[in-house]
Amino acid sequence: MPATDYQASFLGRISIRRNQVIAMDGNHEQELQDLELFSKHVSERFAELLSSPDDIPFDALLSISWLRKLLDFFLCCEAEFKGVLMMGNDPSQISKPPLDRLIPEFLDRSVKALDVCNAVTNGLESVRHYQKLAEIVVSALEQKPIGDGQSRRAKKALTSLMSAMNVDDKECSAAKATERSWSFSRRGVSSKDRVPEHFRSVSNQVAKNWSAAKQIQAMTNNLVPPRGAEGSGLASPVYTMSVIMVFVMWALVAAIPCQERNGLSAIHFPAPKQLNWAQSIIGLHEKIGEEWKKKEKKGTAGLLDEMQKMEKLGNILMDFTDSFQFHGDITDQKAEEAAARSAELAETCRRMEEGLLPLQIQIREVFHRIVKTRTELLNALDQVGKSSPPLL
Amino acid sequence: MDGCQSGVPTYEGDLHVVAAAHHIVKALGATKNLSDDLRKILIDLDSHLSMITSNIDSKGGRGLVDVEERLDQAERKIMRWETDPMMIWDSGPKEASDYLEAVDETGKLVDGLRGLSVHENRKQKEILHRAMNILQMAMSRLEEELIHILVRHGQQFEPKHMYSRSIRKDIVYDESFVSVEDEPIKETSSRNYSNDESGECIVDLVHADVIPDIKSIAKVMFTSNYGPEFCEAFISVQKEALEQYFSFLGTENLSIEDVLKMEWTCLSSKMNKWTWSMKIIVRVYLASEKQLCDQVLGGLGSVSSYCFLEISKATILCLLNFGEAVAMGPHRPEKLLRLLDMYETLACLLRDIDTLFSEEAGSFIQLQFHELLERLGESAIAAFEAFRVAISSNGSLYPFAGGGVHPLNKYVMNYIRMFPEYCNTLNLLLKNQHPGVADQVTEPDYGLDASLLTSCPMAYHLRSITSCLESNLHKKSQLYKDEALQHIFLMNNIHYLVQKVKGSELRLFFGDEWIRKHNAMFQQHAMNYERATWSSVVSFLRDDNPGSSSMSKSTFKERCKGFSVAFEEVYKTQTSWSIPDPELREDLRISTSLKVVLAYRTFLGRNLAYTDDKCVKHTVEHVENSLLDLFEGSSRSLRNSRRW
Repeated sequence: MPATDYQASFLGRISIRRNQVIAMDGNHEQELQDLELFSKHVSERFAELLSSPDDIPFDALLSISWLRKLLDFFLCCEAEFKGVLMMGNDPSQISKPPLDRLIPEFLDRSVKALDVCNAVTNGLESVRHYQKLAEIVVSALEQKPIGDGQSRRAKKALTSLMSAMNVDDKECSAAKATERSWSFSRRGVSSKDRVPEHFRSVSNQVAKNWSAAKQIQAMTNNLVPPRGAEGSGLASPVYTMSVIMVFVMWALVAAIPCQERNGLSAIHFPAPKQLNWAQSIIGLHEKIGEEWKKKEKKGTAGLLDEMQKMEKLGNILMDFTDSFQFHGDITDQKAEEAAARSAELAETCRRMEEGLLPLQIQIREVFHRIVKTRTELLNALDQVGKSSPPLL
Repeated sequence: MDGCQSGVPTYEGDLHVVAAAHHIVKALGATKNLSDDLRKILIDLDSHLSMITSNIDSKGGRGLVDVEERLDQAERKIMRWETDPMMIWDSGPKEASDYLEAVDETGKLVDGLRGLSVHENRKQKEILHRAMNILQMAMSRLEEELIHILVRHGQQFEPKHMYSRSIRKDIVYDESFVSVEDEPIKETSSRNYSNDESGECIVDLVHADVIPDIKSIAKVMFTSNYGPEFCEAFISVQKEALEQYFSFLGTENLSIEDVLKMEWTCLSSKMNKWTWSMKIIVRVYLASEKQLCDQVLGGLGSVSSYCFLEISKATILCLLNFGEAVAMGPHRPEKLLRLLDMYETLACLLRDIDTLFSEEAGSFIQLQFHELLERLGESAIAAFEAFRVAISSNGSLYPFAGGGVHPLNKYVMNYIRMFPEYCNTLNLLLKNQHPGVADQVTEPDYGLDASLLTSCPMAYHLRSITSCLESNLHKKSQLYKDEALQHIFLMNNIHYLVQKVKGSELRLFFGDEWIRKHNAMFQQHAMNYERATWSSVVSFLRDDNPGSSSMSKSTFKERCKGFSVAFEEVYKTQTSWSIPDPELREDLRISTSLKVVLAYRTFLGRNLAYTDDKCVKHTVEHVENSLLDLFEGSSRSLRNSRRW
C-alpha cells in the first residue's frame, strides 16, 4: 500500500529531524525546508491523481481504486502536516497569531469533515445495496438459453436498481426506505400491513436536516490563503491541509450517495492558481465539477465510476429485457450483446465486491485519524494554555 | 412433498451415464467428514438421479408429455393466485403447502430439463422456458408473501419489561461543575434502574408460529437459486424494523457537530439514553435478530451472518458514532460518571458483540467497538483529571458567608460518593496512570478485603482528590479576616468531608486511619475556634488573686462591663455564623458553655456581694441561653432584643 510506504519514510524523516532539532535549536531554515517538502509532496500526489488515465477502468477518475488512492494520499499528507506543525517547533507558536485563530478554525473544519465521513459511510451502504441488485441481474442473465422468466427476473432487479439509484439522488435525506423497492402494487389487501412508505430511515441519516453540501460549504468559511509574511510561516500548511481536507470530502460526496447534495457544484475553492501545490487540486476540482454539473441535471446517485457504469449498463440491459418481453424472443446478435453487457456488469460488481469494504474501512481510518489529530492539537493548545494562569 | 414423481425422461443411452453417476454419488455419500452443505447436495443429487432412473424405467419415451402434464398442473396452482387478492399464507396452511408443492415441482422440472438441454430438443426447450417463467412468477410471489409475513407477524416488545431480573442502583448526579459557586446544591439523586450483566433475554421478533413458513419459503427460494432475492427482501424488512425500534426507543441521530455543541444537561440525558439503548439493542434486539437469522437461514452457510450484518450494521454504526462524538468532546468533570457508564456498558457488551459479529465480515464492527471502548476509557481518565484540576483551581474572591459547608465541598463529596459503584472500572482505567500503585491490585474484587481496598488505585486517587479539596478549602479559609471564623469554616468542611466518607462506601477506600486523622483535624479546629473567640472574653472573669477573698467593686464593675461588651459582640457576630450539622453545633455549644458559663458562674459566685448591682447585665441563665443562638446563621443582637 502506498500509504504505509509514505508513512514509513516520513516517520524516518521525523526521527532524523528530532535529532537535528536538538543539535541546532530553533533552526528556521529547517522549518522552511519542511514546509517546502510538505507542499512538494502534496503537489506530487495530487498531480498523480489528476493524471489518472480515463481509459484504464481500474484507475479511472472517481473509481473505487482512485478514491482509495485519494484517501491514502490524504492520510499521508495529514501525517506530514502534523509533523510540520507539531514536531520540533516551538509549541507556544500554535497559540500565537495567526495560528491562534487558524487552528481553532481548522479544528472546526475537522469536526465537519467527520460528519461527512459518516454520511459517506452511510452512502456506501446504499452502493452495496446496488451491487447486490446488480448481482441478481447478472445471475439472471447468465442463464443459458435466456428465456422469458430470466428476462423478467433481470428486469425486476433492474427496476429496483434504477429506482434505488434515483431515490438516493433525489431524496437522499428522506424516504430511504423505498430504496429497496418491493412490488406491492398488485395486492391492495396487504396495504394495511405494509411498512409505511414515508417512514424515514434513521440510520442512514447523519442527522435531521443535515446537508452534505452545506457542511462542505461551511468548511470553506474563513478559508483564505495566507497573505504577506504569514505565507512563509505555519499558516501556510494549515491552509494547505484545510484545502486538501475540503477537497477530499467534496470529492467523496460527489462520488458517493450522500444526504442532501444540492448546491454541491456551487462550492468554490479559494485556492489561488499561483500556488504550485494547488494546481492539481484545482484541476481535479474543475474536472469533477464539470462531471457533476452534467449529471446534476439528469440526476445521478453519484459520480463513482463503478456506479456510473452500472447505470449505463443497467439502461442498456433494461432495453434488452423490454424488447425481450415485447418480442418473446431475441436474435442471437442481441443475445450476444446482452451477454457482453452482463459480463461487464459482472466485472463491475466484482470490483465493488473487492473494493467497497476496504474503502469503507479506509474512510473509517480517515475518521479516526482526524479525531486523533484533533485531540493532539487540543492537548497541545491545552499545554500551552496551562503555562498561563487558569481561568476557571 | 411427493418428489418421487419428479424427474425427466431420457434416452436409453443415458441410462448408463445416470447409473454411473448414481454410483459415484452413493460412494461419495458414504464418506465421513462431509460438510453439511456438501452432504445436502449429495442427498439431493442422489434422489434426483433415482427419479430419472425410475422415470426411464417406467415411462420410457412418454416422459416429455408427462413432464408437460405435470407442469400444466403446477402452473394452474401457481397462476390461480396471480389473480387472487388474498395472500396465500393468510388463506391457510393447506393453501400454502399446496403452493409450495407446486413451486417445488416446477423447480424440479426446471432442474431436470436444464440438465438435459444439451440435446437441443425444441419442444424440450420450450417447456423449459415455460417452466422458468412460471418459476419466476412464483418466486416473485414468494418474495411478496415473505415480506407480508415478516411485516404482519413482526413483533415489537416493550423495553421496560426487559430488565426486571436484576436491578442495580444507579444514582444520577447531573450537576454541572460550573454551578458550584452559583446556586445551593440540591442533592439530586433520582434513581434510574438499569440491568447488569445477567439481564440477557431473547424475544421473538417475528411470531414463532410463522418461523416454519418463512423457513419453507427460504428453502424453496434458495433451492431455485433465488437466494439473493430472499436476502434482499428479508434484509430490507428486518432492517427497517430495527430502525423503527431504534426510533421507538427515542434515540435520534445526531451529527458529531451537534453533540459537541450540546448543553450538558441535554448531553447527559442523551448519554444515559445511549447506555440504555445500547444494552437493549445489543443484548435483546440483536441477539434476537441473530436467532431469527439462524432459525431461518441456518444451514445455508454464511448467508445467515451476512443478512444479520446487513440488517444491523447501520444502526450499530449510528450508536457507535454518538459514542465517538461524546469521547471527542471537551473533558469536563461532570462528564466522568456518564462516561464511565458508557464505558462499562460497552465493556460488558463486548463479548456479546464478538459473538454476534464473529464472522470475518463483521470484524469491522468488532474493531469499531474495541476502538470506541478504548477512546471512552481515555476520555473518562481525561475527565477524571479535569475533575481534579477543577477542584484545585476553583477560586473564590470573597469568603463564603457564615463559614458553613462550601458548595465545592458538597459537589465534590456527593460526586465521589458515586465512585465506589464504578470501583472496578476506575481501578482498571487508573491503573496505568500511576504504575506505582498499580501492582497491588491485580484482580480487583471489591468488598472482600478491606485492607486491599484502601490501597487500590481508586483509593489512591480518591485521597488525592480530597487532599486537593482540602488545600483549596484552606485557601478559601484564608479569605476570612476573623481567625475564629477560619476555624469554624474548616471545622465545618472537614467535618462534612469525614461524615460523607463515613456515611458511604467511601470509608472502605479511605480507611480508618484517614478517618481518625480527619476527625482529629476538625476537633483541632473546634478547639482553635474556642481559643480564638473565648479566651479574651473569659479573661475578664479571671481571678487575678486566687488567694484573696474578693475583688474591689470597681474592678468587678469594670470586669463585668468588659465581659458584657465582649460577649455581646461575639453574640452579634457569631449568631450569623453557621454550623449546618446539628450535632456538631450542639457539641460546640456544650463545650463553649462548659468553658464560658462555668467561668461566669464562678466569677459571679465569688463576688456575690455585688451581684445585685445593675452592673451585672446578664444572668448566668441568660448567658447560657444566649449561647444557644450561636451558629444558627442569622445575625442577632443582645443589645436591642431585651428578652430578659
